[in-house]
Amino acid sequence: MSLLYPLGLLGLLAIPVLIIIYIIKSKYTEQVIASTYLWELSEKFLKKRRRINRFAGIISLLLQIFAVILISVAIAHPVFAIPGAATDYCFILDASGSMNILNNEKMRFDIGKDEISSIISSSANGSSFTLICAGNTNDVVFENETDKGRALKLLNEIKPAYINSGMNDALATAQAYFDKNPALKTYLVTDKDYENVSNLELVNVSSHEENYALTEVEYSLLGNRLTVKGSAVSYENDAEIEVKLFIDDAEVTAKLLVGGEEISPAKLQLKKQKIQEFTLEYTYVPSAAVAGEAGTLTFKALKVEIPQKDALDVDNRVIIYNEKSDESFNTLIVSDSSTFYIESALLALGNNMFRTITTKEYTSQNTGYGLYIFDGYAPETLPADGAVWFINPNRTTADSGFNVQPNPIDRVGELAFSTSHNSDIRNLLKGVVQDDIIVSSYLKCGLYNNFHKLASLDGNPVIFAGSNLKGNREVVFAFDLQKADIALSFNFTVLIHNLLNYTFPQVVDTPVYYCGDTLRINVPANCRSVEVFTPDSPDVPEPLDAEADTCLYELKEVGVYTVKLNFGSGIVRTVHVFSELPEEERRTTVSAVGALIQGEPSDVKRDGTYDNLLILFIVLAVVFIADWMVYCYEQYQLR
Amino acid sequence: MNSQIINEEFLQQVELLQMLIKNNVAGQFGGGHQSKNFGSSCEFADYRDYIPGDDITKIDWNAYARFDKLYLKLYLDERRMHTRIYIDASRSMKFGKGKKDEQSVKIAATLAYLSVCSMDKVSVYVIKDKKVHDVIIGMSGKESYYSNIGKLNDIEFDGDSYISEALLPEKVGYGDGMSVIISDFLTDNNYEDAIDYLASKKRDIFCVQVLSKEELNPQARGKMHFFDSENTDKYYRKNINRDIVNAYKAALDYVQERIRGYCAARGADYLLVGDEDDLGNVFFGKLVDMGVLK
Repeated sequence: MSLLYPLGLLGLLAIPVLIIIYIIKSKYTEQVIASTYLWELSEKFLKKRRRINRFAGIISLLLQIFAVILISVAIAHPVFAIPGAATDYCFILDASGSMNILNNEKMRFDIGKDEISSIISSSANGSSFTLICAGNTNDVVFENETDKGRALKLLNEIKPAYINSGMNDALATAQAYFDKNPALKTYLVTDKDYENVSNLELVNVSSHEENYALTEVEYSLLGNRLTVKGSAVSYENDAEIEVKLFIDDAEVTAKLLVGGEEISPAKLQLKKQKIQEFTLEYTYVPSAAVAGEAGTLTFKALKVEIPQKDALDVDNRVIIYNEKSDESFNTLIVSDSSTFYIESALLALGNNMFRTITTKEYTSQNTGYGLYIFDGYAPETLPADGAVWFINPNRTTADSGFNVQPNPIDRVGELAFSTSHNSDIRNLLKGVVQDDIIVSSYLKCGLYNNFHKLASLDGNPVIFAGSNLKGNREVVFAFDLQKADIALSFNFTVLIHNLLNYTFPQVVDTPVYYCGDTLRINVPANCRSVEVFTPDSPDVPEPLDAEADTCLYELKEVGVYTVKLNFGSGIVRTVHVFSELPEEERRTTVSAVGALIQGEPSDVKRDGTYDNLLILFIVLAVVFIADWMVYCYEQYQLR
Repeated sequence: MNSQIINEEFLQQVELLQMLIKNNVAGQFGGGHQSKNFGSSCEFADYRDYIPGDDITKIDWNAYARFDKLYLKLYLDERRMHTRIYIDASRSMKFGKGKKDEQSVKIAATLAYLSVCSMDKVSVYVIKDKKVHDVIIGMSGKESYYSNIGKLNDIEFDGDSYISEALLPEKVGYGDGMSVIISDFLTDNNYEDAIDYLASKKRDIFCVQVLSKEELNPQARGKMHFFDSENTDKYYRKNINRDIVNAYKAALDYVQERIRGYCAARGADYLLVGDEDDLGNVFFGKLVDMGVLK
């Protein structure tokens, strides 16, 4: 026996105090009264007391001393050793995505935790526990923990991941523990079937259930005709499933096509573990509830879903966000002349959120736009809250990063596109056919900011892009679109597309990822803060570094992630991405080759402990207190 | 006694009490004391045949005219009663926190007043050791009451008292009124012979037991060593707990019942009075209920 807190024995000092109190208590109080007759007579009426009552006083003292001794010993926390009673346990808990599957309405992961809890609870005191959790990372949650309560608490706190976690690292860690202690009893708690196991016990929490999944979903929009392509699979059985299409959370009726032929009724026949491609076609009719402006189909998000319930629900839907729907594309065009070319180009690129005003109508109070296009006009001060495009600016605007010579140079010439290998310039000119583009008049500009020169005439930059001194993207056409043939060419739409992408760089490369992927966030210029909201905690922002050009964020959950970019002045750009369950994690039952712990096991057990005397001590403490209470009641609260 | 119990304030209270009793009850202490013997009062009782030698002034001549026979007119005889009050003046009546001595004196004074108001003679005695000592003898009338009652203040409560041994040799009268014994009766049985003696003398007996509040409801707890005030050789040493207090109360009930029963068997009245009881309640309530006051 050993004492964890020997200082607790100081409580024994209470014993002399008790004895002193007892002696003081035992002193008789002398008093002269009128007559002792009644008191003496009362002896005849005193009920015959049991023999033990004659010793009640001393028994009370003995009980109290006994209780003080035991309470002191309890505080000192003796630990009694029981030779060979305890076992050392090592648990490997599979926390991969497939452990999220429901088995009889309970997650496999929780079933696995219950199994481990049961083993820990029923183990002998003094046993030690090590838990390796193979989830997002290969974590050792606790190591050689002998406190059952703490082990159970830590076990209860762990959560499953959504990624494919390999067991090799976990088994290697367990192997290291086994090498140190061959008597270690190792449990592998997983949903996978292992053909070979060695030196460990397999606890399989899997079962066979229906399990469908969607994958490789993508869409194309041609006019008002939306085509969604994807694949579906049933992992466990042949199945007949529905596939539903939602536009901005509203279900729409779409044709279901397989191999180019419409299926009626619209149910997909799936063969076990065979991937079945399908197509959903939806043609928008302007009177429909999901209509955007001007009778054009626009949406923020598409959702494709298998409505049937199955064992693993998280892979039954895919959400694709339309990054082009971002409100930052709100455009203000300021021009006194025809804006036909630019409006046509914007419309052709799917941006119909623009407003056109005259130069007289424009004041610095016009704010709240993502893009300001000044055609044949330049304001005195730059808008601070959006990107700026200048087309044929008539004067120099402060902070624009360039100056303009007032008189246009009337010369018919061919634009010379940049041949620079700069990646930004190459991206800006991507797809532009650099054939003869004639300009009849241009403005000579002096650049004092770092602009990408995309095209020049006589060595003077006439199309350039960069950032102005307010930190916003800026594009300049130093000529009148009416006096150049570029506006009539295919190149113009391509160039405008590239310039829009440059002006509003895509925050994320794609709207759909797999869980476990790293999300790359391109931080736009002038962005003041970047926050990510996870599917599990949609109200708790995780701030990222807005100063960097790109931010990396590992997707650990399945569902919709929201990225919010704050540009100040109340301008917030919101981007959504959908994180899919990795395909290798969608199988509810997986076979694995083997889980092997090498080495010769030992059956030497460690000494167990018995330290549950605390309850007994508490009972004695209660007896002690009760004894005092009864004494006081007897003496002062008589009936 | 150190304090003047019988003072002006007390006498005013007694006067007030007497008025209350007059107004609220049918009669007074002792009533008219009409004897069963025929006497010379104005109240007619009966006729009887004339016997030679009878007082001829009592012959009813109207009856003679009607019946031609001599009848003697009889009247109720009204006697003057003699109330004798015996106060136990032992040390136990004074000792302790209680005021049994004061209460005893007040009860005696009040009973005496009620008696003199009924035109009775009143004598007050104290019992000390084995003797009866006179305090007031043959007091009658209010004037005599006021001039003598103050003597009660001089009673010294000390020593032992043996009621029976003190009373038995004394002259206590015969059939001429009430004998009142005021004591705590905290003794085995030394009052029983006295009661028997008084009963044999055709006295109306009224025993008043005066106990202190502490005696009626003891508050002592824990380990106590009690000494008897009258005899320090006697002591009681116990750890006073619930059982003992319950036993004490049972003993107190037993003592009361024994006195009450003994008195009842001999036609005597018994009353328990606490040392802090209000005398108004005692006389106006308890005594009327018992029929001592009519």
